[in-house]
Amino acid sequence: MINPTPTGTATSAPTGLAAALAAEQAAIFAYGLLGAWLPEEEAEAARQAEAAHRDRRDVLLTTLADRGEPPVTGGIYQAPFPVTGPDQARELAILVEERVAAVWRATLADVTGEDRRMAVAALVDAAVRATGWRQAAGMDPATVPFPGAT
Amino acid sequence: MVAGLAGCTDWQDGSDPSPPDPLEPLLAATSTLVSRYEQAIAEVPALADRLTPLLATHQEHVRVIRAMIGRPEPSATPDGMQWVEPSETAERSEEDVLAELRAAEEAGQQAATDACLAAPPDRAPLLGSIAAARASHQVVLR
Repeated sequence: MINPTPTGTATSAPTGLAAALAAEQAAIFAYGLLGAWLPEEEAEAARQAEAAHRDRRDVLLTTLADRGEPPVTGGIYQAPFPVTGPDQARELAILVEERVAAVWRATLADVTGEDRRMAVAALVDAAVRATGWRQAAGMDPATVPFPGAT
Repeated sequence: MVAGLAGCTDWQDGSDPSPPDPLEPLLAATSTLVSRYEQAIAEVPALADRLTPLLATHQEHVRVIRAMIGRPEPSATPDGMQWVEPSETAERSEEDVLAELRAAEEAGQQAATDACLAAPPDRAPLLGSIAAARASHQVVLR
């Protein structure tokens, strides 16, 4: 997993939208790392995915700031394995989207209203992108029965 | 939510005194998705490899929605199952079948999303996952 190593003195793991923010930030980092290893068509998909994660991160930053919630401390990100070619790049993209899906899925239980609407949309988007990367990696089936379930 | 379904209390034979669960319509629609895939595979066997994992997912969704409702015992013909009759004698093309399934998945995604938005916290993650699965199916059906 792309897990941030906390640099601050957080007393507990973030939950809800704060957890989602951390996952989106980790995804942005991962796409920055993996995009260069992909052939052009897939690199374009990676750029679009990164942009989508940035958009969601920005919404989360604004939402949390508006509510006066403390900012999530940036972490030091480390890929779980070295990315030295397209195969690992796709593998990392799948892992990242599955991780993002899992965090948003868990968030669904913590939020209501518009926040839940955002959470289910984010879960759907991550599941769709994970499916695309599994197809690119030649995995069959490319879908999972319960996206985000770990 | 339950009150809004008051008109649907005759969904069974009337012997069940408990009010219908808000997920009954989603369960029925999910059973219909299972039937659509079974029919599509029977109609176009060349699509079997592609459609079988998606069929299995919908069957799994029926099982977990039943479990959420507290009615895990499957009946021989699930409530709301509607066999989609083949259109006349004309055989449908692969493209037509895929397009129909994509549309069904899109509607199913919306239904699961709506159910997720209306659900109590303990049900929301699973319903969100079902919506996401249906969205991902549309990728495979392209």
